[in-house]
Amino acid sequence: MASDQELIIQFQESINREANFTALLKKHQQKVYYQIKRMVTDHADADDIAQLVWIKIWDKLDGFKMESEFSTWLFRIAYNETLNYLQKQRKQGASNSSSDLLDYENATASSDSPKSTEIQIGLERAISQLPEKQKVVFMLRYFDGFDYEKIASIVGTTIGGAKANYHQAVKKVEHFITQL
Amino acid sequence: MAFNNQDKIGNSLEQDRAWAESLLNKQNLSQLNASNTEVPIDYFESFPDKLMSSIEEQKREKLEKKKAKIFFLPSFIKPMNRWAVAAAFIILVGGSFIFLNSSVSKKTGASMLANNINIQDISIEEIETYVEANEWIAEIDVQAQIQKENAKLSSLDEKQIEEIQKIINQ
Repeated sequence: MASDQELIIQFQESINREANFTALLKKHQQKVYYQIKRMVTDHADADDIAQLVWIKIWDKLDGFKMESEFSTWLFRIAYNETLNYLQKQRKQGASNSSSDLLDYENATASSDSPKSTEIQIGLERAISQLPEKQKVVFMLRYFDGFDYEKIASIVGTTIGGAKANYHQAVKKVEHFITQL
Repeated sequence: MAFNNQDKIGNSLEQDRAWAESLLNKQNLSQLNASNTEVPIDYFESFPDKLMSSIEEQKREKLEKKKAKIFFLPSFIKPMNRWAVAAAFIILVGGSFIFLNSSVSKKTGASMLANNINIQDISIEEIETYVEANEWIAEIDVQAQIQKENAKLSSLDEKQIEEIQKIINQ
């Protein structure tokens, strides 16, 4: 399988642009989608944002200088697009903290995953109430296993800031659960 | 306490995960991940085709926008005002044409008036001199007319002469 760099160079040299782009897309689409979905919870929203992200990648890939890893650049775009989307929703009044929570609960309640304990529901609620940056840092570190340098580049903070966000996220969630 | 916990952050991924699991329960975290990674059937299989068709559509829209950028009049002129601009242009061109023509005719009239000489202003001596100088031209003209008429009569045959005589007699 060709590396990201090889696919990007061929894309930039206009050799089978669509094929190379599709290869990049297939390689990274799941992680991008999951990162978005953890922030918005609703599939339709996540799908819309994922499309916006990949269209942006198509438009900007010619100018990508490979100074950072492609995946870091990609996740940073996904993070920013998701934040923009959430901000727009809030401005339109379609979403507020309580409706976010309701959406989150509906989204998770409709899934077939087992939710046997009250703590499990509490955990989901607690994570949905975290500030966006803390939520993403926690998800990228715990579930995706990214190092702090990469996480810091994605969310636009320092390595120390990313570590602090992870710590605060875990502590806030723990505090919420213990109050149940 | 918080300081001690913060010390545990960033040593390694395994340690970070272990610390979170000790506080939040590993099983609950894995269930949370399972609910977040659920997607409709064949979503990832169909996504590339859906995305590429969106990109194609976007390309087409961009091309159409480029083609549509033809300006006859500045865009700030509203459609209703365009008729007013066109009418003003016609009035301007037509008005200047009429103005120029009238000034030319005025000039021509003035020059004609300037050149107009009344016969009363000409002295009798000047008239007599003119007639004497042109008298032979008048004579030549008369002679030429008589010769022309004679030539016509001589070309008539007998029948035509009889018809003319009949008409005269009647």
